[in-house]
Amino acid sequence: MNKWCKEIRKQILDISRKSGHGHIPSCFSVVEIVYAIYGTIKHNPKLPSWQERDIFILSKGHASLAHYCVLAKFGYFDLKKVYSFGGFMSDFGCHADRFKVSGVEASTGSLGHGIGLAVGIALGLKIQKSERRVYVVIGDGESNEGSVWEAIMVATSLKLNNLTIIYDNNMSHSRGLQIVNPAEKFAAFGCEIREADGHDIDILKSEILRKANAVIAIIAHTKKGFGCNTFVSSPYEWHRKSPNEKEFEQLMKELDEEAI
Amino acid sequence: MRKQFRDTVMDLAAYDDKIVLIFGDVSVYLFNDFKAKYPDRFYNIGICENALISIGAGLSFLGFFPFVHTITPFITERSLEQIKIDLCYNRFGANIVSCGASFDYAWDGATHHCYTDLAILRLLPDIEVIQPGSKKELDTLLRSQYNNGKATYFRLSDYPHNIDIPAKFGKGVILKDSGSKLTVMTAGPILGNVMEACRNLPVNLVYFHTIKPIDRELIERFRHTEIMVIHDAFGLYEAVCEVPNLSVSYYGLPDKFCSWYGTLVDIRKKIGLDIESIKENIEQRIKNR
Repeated sequence: MNKWCKEIRKQILDISRKSGHGHIPSCFSVVEIVYAIYGTIKHNPKLPSWQERDIFILSKGHASLAHYCVLAKFGYFDLKKVYSFGGFMSDFGCHADRFKVSGVEASTGSLGHGIGLAVGIALGLKIQKSERRVYVVIGDGESNEGSVWEAIMVATSLKLNNLTIIYDNNMSHSRGLQIVNPAEKFAAFGCEIREADGHDIDILKSEILRKANAVIAIIAHTKKGFGCNTFVSSPYEWHRKSPNEKEFEQLMKELDEEAI
Repeated sequence: MRKQFRDTVMDLAAYDDKIVLIFGDVSVYLFNDFKAKYPDRFYNIGICENALISIGAGLSFLGFFPFVHTITPFITERSLEQIKIDLCYNRFGANIVSCGASFDYAWDGATHHCYTDLAILRLLPDIEVIQPGSKKELDTLLRSQYNNGKATYFRLSDYPHNIDIPAKFGKGVILKDSGSKLTVMTAGPILGNVMEACRNLPVNLVYFHTIKPIDRELIERFRHTEIMVIHDAFGLYEAVCEVPNLSVSYYGLPDKFCSWYGTLVDIRKKIGLDIESIKENIEQRIKNR
């Protein structure tokens, strides 16, 4: 595991333990993805509204804590601020508010919205004849929403090759409406498909950098709760739970052991 | 009124390259000239109203002034959450332009009727809700509001009234002040029927084209009277009731689906919103006072 991604996971655990909030397994599945995105795209933490930046939207907004910790790591704000997570009047809610958190481009939370927004931004950049790109992370459970597929259909129809969709295939969908063979589905909708180990920073970065003549869909194969066996073996029990002191110690130990 | 929508937008687009049109497979033929003139600023994205709103929000993110347009129930009722979150909560403003309400598509049945749009949208923070009654009102209000960065809802009608009324955003208009103890308040194209019904009756008549923000100051002027809201939609009555401690009643839609097909005139007659029925109802109200 990348040492910074391990560090970010420890931060997520600590903030969740102290705040009593957090979708930890959902956060753990996207740590490498979000870290790789900010390590690759054009952005400027000192000037978040930089006109030439690429745009990143976390459509699966419940992984906000992972997003906050990555933004802090890249210098958007001090991590200490994130410890108010979910608290009354905190800037750092369990779903991000774009007016409160530097670097957050859109307020998301209700699933199936961020991707449509990303398509609109990608279209706007095409109208402006800009070289900037748009990256959006969607969840596999989120992809039960019809609005996700509406947005993809429009994106491919408009040939928005400045749009990269990263599909967090952490098997969240498996309990409910299953999305069998997502790569096949994205391909059928007209996307150019890349499949990647969603926990391998180097592979993710190289896929994020690649361009194409079509909408790109990176199917990132991840594990919900990656890094801690406790989460991976029981992700639903931990979906919204935060650890107590004893659990926290065990989870930190598991992270250090890198058994999974 | 749709032609007026086209003409006004055509005119504005000539000197504002931030205008982008996103249509949901409606009025496309009408905008052929626009598409030919501005091919990179007109997109018929098909029948996907959720995406329609979200994509409009994405364009707004970059500073464009999007117009998203399709049939009323689909763009408002189906996409309410997209309007709430993507446009209002995120403050990615866009112009939502609907057609077909309330009963312009009477013959298509209850799936295509829509009378809740004004009522549900006015409940959202950071939105403007406009029901132009005439082509002139649409032209004036569209020009004054389209580029203010806010979510603004324009409800078009294929059956506008042709009464010449001053149109200033957020301002209601007194059409008749008889010093009466009964004030009729109405909005949008139904004014044609309401005005005719009130012609020889001893009532005051107040008209609105802006439902949100409602002109509270104007309503206050009639607080000493009994107010009767006559409207072929929900939303105006609720907006008037925002002013506390008034005596207000509603005359308009029944609590049932209007599933009789036919024409707009047929539906209005059936539910008592034709001139004669409105007049009889007001007369009855006067008699019972």
